[in-house]
Amino acid sequence: MNPSDTTQLPAKPVAPLLHKIAVVEDLREIRESLSQLIGTLADFKCVCACASGEDALKQIPPARPDVVLMDIFLPGMSGIECTTRLKVLLPDVRILILTASDDEEMVFPALEAGADGYLLKQAEPADLRAALLDLLQGGVPMTSGIARQVVDYFRHRAKSRDQIVHLTPREKELLIQLSKGYSNKEIAGKLSLSVETIHGHMKNIFKKMHVRSRAEAVAKYISSHND
Amino acid sequence: MVKARLRIAVDDSYSLFLDGREIGRGGGWHQLTEYDLTLLLEPGSHTLAIEAFNAFKQAGVLVGLRVELADGRSVEVVSDQNWKVAPNTDGRWEKRTRARANWPPATVMAVFGQAPWPGIPGVLKAPQIYPVVLQFWQAGWFQIALLSLCAFVVAVCLRLMGKVAIQSHAQQVVQRERARIARDIHDDLTAGLTQLVLMGEVARSTLPAGSEPRQRVDKLCEKARSLSRSMNEIIWVVNSQRDTLHAVASYICKYAETFLQTTSIRCRFDIEEEMSDLPCDMGMRRNLFLAVKEALNNAVQHSKATELVLSIHRQGQSVVVVMEDNGEGFDPALADQERNGLSSMRQRAAEAGGVCHVISRPGAGCRVEFVVPLVCATRLHPNLLSRFWKRRAPLPATPPSAPTVSTPTVHPSPPTP
Repeated sequence: MNPSDTTQLPAKPVAPLLHKIAVVEDLREIRESLSQLIGTLADFKCVCACASGEDALKQIPPARPDVVLMDIFLPGMSGIECTTRLKVLLPDVRILILTASDDEEMVFPALEAGADGYLLKQAEPADLRAALLDLLQGGVPMTSGIARQVVDYFRHRAKSRDQIVHLTPREKELLIQLSKGYSNKEIAGKLSLSVETIHGHMKNIFKKMHVRSRAEAVAKYISSHND
Repeated sequence: MVKARLRIAVDDSYSLFLDGREIGRGGGWHQLTEYDLTLLLEPGSHTLAIEAFNAFKQAGVLVGLRVELADGRSVEVVSDQNWKVAPNTDGRWEKRTRARANWPPATVMAVFGQAPWPGIPGVLKAPQIYPVVLQFWQAGWFQIALLSLCAFVVAVCLRLMGKVAIQSHAQQVVQRERARIARDIHDDLTAGLTQLVLMGEVARSTLPAGSEPRQRVDKLCEKARSLSRSMNEIIWVVNSQRDTLHAVASYICKYAETFLQTTSIRCRFDIEEEMSDLPCDMGMRRNLFLAVKEALNNAVQHSKATELVLSIHRQGQSVVVVMEDNGEGFDPALADQERNGLSSMRQRAAEAGGVCHVISRPGAGCRVEFVVPLVCATRLHPNLLSRFWKRRAPLPATPPSAPTVSTPTVHPSPPTP
């Protein structure tokens, strides 16, 4: 995760409220270890562990978790499709993609589908906790590599007349600065903006991407059921 | 031979052949035509053939050939019963050098000058006939040679096409295999290592902080994590779906960003926009990545820089990766090549078929530049051509610092090199 986002966490709540976490992972050992590990983290508890995307769509909505840890490669429904559908069912749930490899090209489709962040499965518990807290604070998973892919994403869709897929000049400028390796703080200094404003722009960029991909997913769903 | 003349009149019309070649045609019984055959009659045997045509009945032919020899003698050939009549059903009769046994002799109707063919008033001289000069491309031997050359070329083309088909098939097989290996590593080894790490973390959380077993489990987890990182690098290299320039650029950037995050060097990127989907073969990707890794490592170890700019651009058929830091620099002439990893960077670049330039001065930072050809440029050379030549003459020994084939699986090549 972007370290600049994790550094600005507010002080811990006085009366700790346990954040509810759900895990979607097909391998039993990993699933169980993850839910046990979450149990050991302060302020977190695991409320639901599912072995497949289909299970997740049934079990997760009644469990009402704050964050879902989602594996990308699942048998049957993929983690990406499950992400899209969960976001339709629970628009407020935050989804953290878990990957075994640090390949951003693999993660991007999940971010496009509505995931709110990604993390290596092997990350240290402290990093997992930091990532979860960051997600709950509304953090945006933006690295220079992701920024580059976002720029590509919008460039390839710029030909369509859909207004929602266009970036504003400011958003484009921010993405280009990010893709050059500047941190939010540095960009804030350069462009005389507050870090919060930049954060807001980033959220907006992701929102545009999600609206688009959700519309596509719904269209696909409808056409596949009409055939 | 001094002179050879042939006079002919045919009722109604004729074509005159000498040795199968048509040398004249004409018609009308009331006029003789004279042909000068002096230039055509070489010493040796010749064949005269006349195709005669009459609109009502059999055609009448009146012909005489006089050959005057150098020793004063002369030879005469006249139209008499020694001539044979070829039936209309025989094809290419005029090309024959000898009459068939079953051809009937010609019928002599009358002596020249008597009825039914009275004297002929005039003689018309046909223009001089020259021997046919055969150009070399008209010669039989040349045409046969040309045909066999064409046949050879066609055969070679077919063979090459077959080879290309086999090679492209082999390449597809290799790509499929690589995808499968990447998947297998991912499914088995990476998943297993992830389980190991997570189970270790669970075990660690149950142990009291600071205790010796906990430290040991810590080490175990760390080791498994680093194994898992190496495994991910291998998967990335092997995975044929990442064989593009775009993927190389994004992976290198991601690595640089993560690697420099924990150091005091800020990393800046200057990556060509719309990086193309040009293919990069596995060996090139691997070597370029390892070269960049080495260069970044050097920057962290020695440069004392605060900023490093990593730029990746395409330049014609090559990709140019530049890492420029603002550190204290060094004198390349005095640098210990081995210790500074300079030789290893050069070797990596050479293995990828490219070059590495290190430009630095004390106090002026350091610029490391890799120029590596894309796969399209190298595909023809190491394979088709060098293979072709290798069979004829052994290649000169390659310097040990630059193994020629670092990745036998990438180029289209038969399974056993």
